[in-house]
Amino acid sequence: MVNYYLFSIFVIEMVDSKLFVMVVEMNENNTFILKRKWPPPLHKKGGKPDKMKSRHFVYDLVEDTNVKKQQDMKVILSQFVDGVGNVGDVVSLRPNTAYRKFLLPGLAVYATPENLEKYKSDENKPKVEKSYSSPYVPRTIGCLSRLVLQISMSKTTPWKLELWHIRTSFRKVGFVVPEETITMPPQEIQGPDLSLQEKEFYVTVKINNREDVNVRCRIYHWATTALEKLPWVAFHWKKPLEPLFPEQAEILEKLPLPE
Amino acid sequence: MASSRIQVTARQLSKTLKKKSRFDIGIATELPAAYKKFWREWKLLKPAAVHFIPQEGKWKRDELTGETLPIQNIPLPLKHPAEIYEGIWGGEAVIKGFQKRDMHRRRVPHYWVPVLKRTVVKSEVLNTHLSVTVTDRTIKLINDHYGFDHYLLKTPACDLVSMLALKLKKQILSELMNGCPRYAHDPQKQKEIYEEYKTYLSSYTPEEIDWYGLTWPEALNKVAKIKEAANKPIPLKNVYRKNLVEKLKEAAIEAKTPTDDMSSTTSWLSKMNPFGKKDEA
Repeated sequence: MVNYYLFSIFVIEMVDSKLFVMVVEMNENNTFILKRKWPPPLHKKGGKPDKMKSRHFVYDLVEDTNVKKQQDMKVILSQFVDGVGNVGDVVSLRPNTAYRKFLLPGLAVYATPENLEKYKSDENKPKVEKSYSSPYVPRTIGCLSRLVLQISMSKTTPWKLELWHIRTSFRKVGFVVPEETITMPPQEIQGPDLSLQEKEFYVTVKINNREDVNVRCRIYHWATTALEKLPWVAFHWKKPLEPLFPEQAEILEKLPLPE
Repeated sequence: MASSRIQVTARQLSKTLKKKSRFDIGIATELPAAYKKFWREWKLLKPAAVHFIPQEGKWKRDELTGETLPIQNIPLPLKHPAEIYEGIWGGEAVIKGFQKRDMHRRRVPHYWVPVLKRTVVKSEVLNTHLSVTVTDRTIKLINDHYGFDHYLLKTPACDLVSMLALKLKKQILSELMNGCPRYAHDPQKQKEIYEEYKTYLSSYTPEEIDWYGLTWPEALNKVAKIKEAANKPIPLKNVYRKNLVEKLKEAAIEAKTPTDDMSSTTSWLSKMNPFGKKDEA
């Protein structure tokens, strides 16, 4: 029996040199670690331990490693993940998140030396078609393309629509958009003109100097006095409107209207 | 002279009185070496210390007296409930013992039970996701080994402590041995997977994989079945039928050869009169 035992240890160590390294590395446990309060007496060399008494089963908790904070884990993204990164990015995540949200669905792979090598060589290759200037770009594009930008203009004073009007309207709904990134339609829009009220057009916003996104805009004629104010319309942003410029009709149709 | 004779008898006695192991009794004697190897890995190998921190080294010195004492790590006895074999607990188990919560109070019994959770594990070789009961330690081990398959294949049976894990390991090994037939639709992926995991095949022969992960009764049943299939009794009726057919054929051949012994065959028939009375016959 003793021979068998030694033999099997030998076999296990022979399985793979990696295994041995692995076992040495893993000192961390994830469980209760206990200690005998009263250790049993020493037994004969090579013999069996004496029959244990009840006091030898009294344990003290050394550590409960389940409640210990685990270290972050590194994974390599195998595809673009919105808000996280591009293909081949090594990201450091909480182990639970990494396992459940990235490794199981196949969005990422383990950061093994082989995988690191594999995805490193991929970086030199031409970029995959689905790569963005920042991981947050798809989210911003989504937000902007779903937006119906209401541009409030005077109903009484004459005006000409300019860039800063659009920038201000963006700021009013929470988007800080620099003027140089906004592209207005080439035609001039002047008012007050109540026929514009039932029309819409789009402006183009450039994100990070790379990605373009079209934003649906509608002009609202605003007045101070109650008599001059236009009547209130429920859910006016859900209502489909006519395009102001016929050449924009195609793109406006594609833009999603808020539900 | 006398002393040497006594020695000899003692040796013989020890041989005859030696406690028989489970492999020396009944049909178990016919179990192959492949299963014995698995049994050693499963039952005789010492599992890794999970619930205690083993002391390093062989000797230690008593701080007070300066005495040199041997280090003897006696593992904490673990309880293996039935549920442990249906989940993959990563070597954790239930500990039954006592807590001494206060110096002046009597000890109280206590069970330390690991926190179990149900989650999904992904087996690349089997190309499936499985819903299993695990502990945090299992997930950590899977992550440390860079994948569920690597974890199963690198960990010896004594540390898996789960029938489910052993069966999966066996399935993975046999799948690898057959060259990953589950990826037949994608030859490139099939090759990749095989290249990644083929190192593990080197430590098993096909027979060992066949006998891997079997419980004791399963192994005995397997031996019995093999034995039964090897010397299957042939029903006597079949033997006799065969003999008869052969005889008849021989007779037919003999009949074809021209022989003039018609008189001998008809001699007793001619004497018989089936319509006559009994007395006449």
